[in-house]
Amino acid sequence: MELRSTDDGRHEKFPVGMRVLAVDDNPTCLRKLEELLLRCKYHVTKTMESKKALEMLRENSNMFDLVISDVEMPDTDGFKLLEIGLEMDLPVIMLSAHSDYDSVMKGIIHGACDYLVKPVGLKELQNIWHHVVKKNIKSYAKNIGPSRQLLPPSESDLVPRASKKRKEKVNDSGDEDESDRDEDDGEGSEQDGDESGTRKKPRVVWSQELHQKFVSAVQQLGLDKAVPKKILDLMSIEGLTRENVASHLQKYRLYLKKIDEGQQQNMTPDAFGTRDSSYFQMAQLDGLRDFTATRQIPSSGLLSRSHLTKLQPPMYSSINLQGMNSSSFIQQGHHQNSSNSANPFGTYHTTLSPRIQNVNLFQRTSSPLETLQFPRSKSYIGDFKGIGDRAIGGSFLDSCMPFGSSSTSLPSASTNTLMLQANYTQPLHITSDGNQPCIEGNQSNSASPNISFQGLSRFPSHSWQGNLNTTRFPPSSLPLNPAFLPDQVTCAGNNLGDCTSLVSAGNPGGEIQCEPQLLGGFMQNMNPLDGQKWEQQNCTMLNNTFGNIEYPLPADNMVFRDNNAIRSKGLDESLMNPIDNNQEYVGKATTMLDPEMKSGKPENDNQHDVFDDIMNEMMKQEENNGMVSVATRFGFDSFPPP
Amino acid sequence: MNTTVVAQLQRQFQDYIVSLYQQGFLDNQFSELRKLQDEGTPDFVSEVVFLFFDDCSKLINTMSTSLEQPDNVDFKQLDSGVHQLKGSSSSVGAKRVKNVCISFKECCDVQNREGCLRCLQQVDYEYKMLKTKLQELFNLEQQILQAGGTIPQVDIS
Repeated sequence: MELRSTDDGRHEKFPVGMRVLAVDDNPTCLRKLEELLLRCKYHVTKTMESKKALEMLRENSNMFDLVISDVEMPDTDGFKLLEIGLEMDLPVIMLSAHSDYDSVMKGIIHGACDYLVKPVGLKELQNIWHHVVKKNIKSYAKNIGPSRQLLPPSESDLVPRASKKRKEKVNDSGDEDESDRDEDDGEGSEQDGDESGTRKKPRVVWSQELHQKFVSAVQQLGLDKAVPKKILDLMSIEGLTRENVASHLQKYRLYLKKIDEGQQQNMTPDAFGTRDSSYFQMAQLDGLRDFTATRQIPSSGLLSRSHLTKLQPPMYSSINLQGMNSSSFIQQGHHQNSSNSANPFGTYHTTLSPRIQNVNLFQRTSSPLETLQFPRSKSYIGDFKGIGDRAIGGSFLDSCMPFGSSSTSLPSASTNTLMLQANYTQPLHITSDGNQPCIEGNQSNSASPNISFQGLSRFPSHSWQGNLNTTRFPPSSLPLNPAFLPDQVTCAGNNLGDCTSLVSAGNPGGEIQCEPQLLGGFMQNMNPLDGQKWEQQNCTMLNNTFGNIEYPLPADNMVFRDNNAIRSKGLDESLMNPIDNNQEYVGKATTMLDPEMKSGKPENDNQHDVFDDIMNEMMKQEENNGMVSVATRFGFDSFPPP
Repeated sequence: MNTTVVAQLQRQFQDYIVSLYQQGFLDNQFSELRKLQDEGTPDFVSEVVFLFFDDCSKLINTMSTSLEQPDNVDFKQLDSGVHQLKGSSSSVGAKRVKNVCISFKECCDVQNREGCLRCLQQVDYEYKMLKTKLQELFNLEQQILQAGGTIPQVDIS
């Protein structure tokens, strides 16, 4: 607990000196409240005008620890203050003379930490510091990244879940390090852990549909004028609270900001510059469109933010499609056709992040391809809603870049990278072209996202396929996309070695045969290497897989693209994670990868951080409940700290 | 210091304050207020109480204006005023005033102007009565202090 100096200059332990902002337009009540608070040894700032209170709050978010305010004030709405306080991640206690059920309910629903009925007693006020602590705990808890569970696919827009609130709001004061490490955004991940929040609301899962409604509402109102209440009204989703919307809105705004910033950022001078990445993303989007007949990638105002003009679909496709060997990248896990969601990008079952480690594996091997790597891009293109899609695509593609393993055939090296990367971030689904087979790796968790590989079938080159042709993946080896491995696979380590051998097997034009049993169902999909078959299978899977994505990937996910290397730790984690039958392998693979990963781009080590930073930023000040953090959804919480 | 005098005054004080509680002028919130008063804040109770009386007089004036025109009563404003009054009276422990406010609110809800007028009159009466009583109490306190004694803490059960 921090020490604070009391009025007389003593330094005492919290909650002494806790800074409270007291607002009440009734002078009698206010004076009494002030005295009560002083008696509790809090530091009190009082005002009768909520306007003044708002000013103070806005001026400096760190000025107060807690706000206590009357609800019914003639000049202003106490709920407005509540809103602001929530946005700033401040606990707000409502005071009112009304003790009727409806009033109390209203206050709580709007996100008040507590609702006190006047006249307020000393005892009640002596405990209010709990709320401050609870908020802090929540942020710490987020960082600890408890569960790896992911939300099971759901068809409903709003999937309330009683789950631990994670990382809803990162407390400004000093959680930054932790939050940076942890990608868990507290949303979308099922967590049975303790509910540390004072409000035990079911978690809101922001599905694609829901987000779409949200975005439409925001656009309708105009981003500047979009306030949670109005958005809530426009969306008219039963069960959705203003608080949920406020939280989501905040993230959305941050996301938009990131996009803007990202687009202004200097992209690494890779083959694909900023434009490219943007383009890439867009292409991805397009690709997705193509691929996903069923699902429309919504365009929204956000979309326009991206460099749409830079889109070059054809290029994209080519990049995407080539060189992908269906068998090449295999996500751990085996996700059978889990569901039938139309849109691959629609929903992410789970976070792929752990799985994505695979990507890194290949990264190192793809020296020639490095140049093809997509620049690290923070800009997330387009529609927030569609982010998930794009993000997947983008990250997917980007991640493939490093892969670039496949020398030759890979203009699509990027694709490979993509695939892997995608795994890393989320279920990858590259849908550039309907023909592309999708490789889906299912993460262990229930609805593990699948990595879809597009263009696998297009694997143009023989040599590639030849390489991968090895008959089977060694039992102990992680079937990391051997396809991607260029002739010279340079995987270090045992298992990789295995893979390598696979790759270099140099079977002429043979199909990559993945050992089905290795990866369960997934592997099975790999078997029919002939594009078509595989495609069909995988695409279905893909669809299913992605159908479950509930929350569009935030721009941050795109960061993955840039980061070729996954930190070894992350790799470990992912590798270790879900694949039961591959545990052993995974472990090995991980170890193997470490050296390689480390040798990766400098940014690699920061990949996680970058993403985390963004996500964390986005998540910060997040109001608490219900906001599903994308990162969480994608299992960022499982992403191990650096 | 004349201990007898002090003791007498203290006794008087105690009896008086107990009677105020018993007659329903004050409730435990007033005790709470008194608890908040100490050497650091010797005038806290009177400060708050006079803020309250001030509040009362302003609100009553406003509400009186609202009720003036029989055809044009702003019940919304009335309701807001009553709410305020209720809030402050309950905060200081002005029990009778608070009770009148409850009835007052009911009249507002049904837009009963007559009822509101009566309530308004009653509120006015009650707050003035309480003011007198408390003035007396504060006087006793002053006398005790001047006699060198301390104001007794009265436990109202």
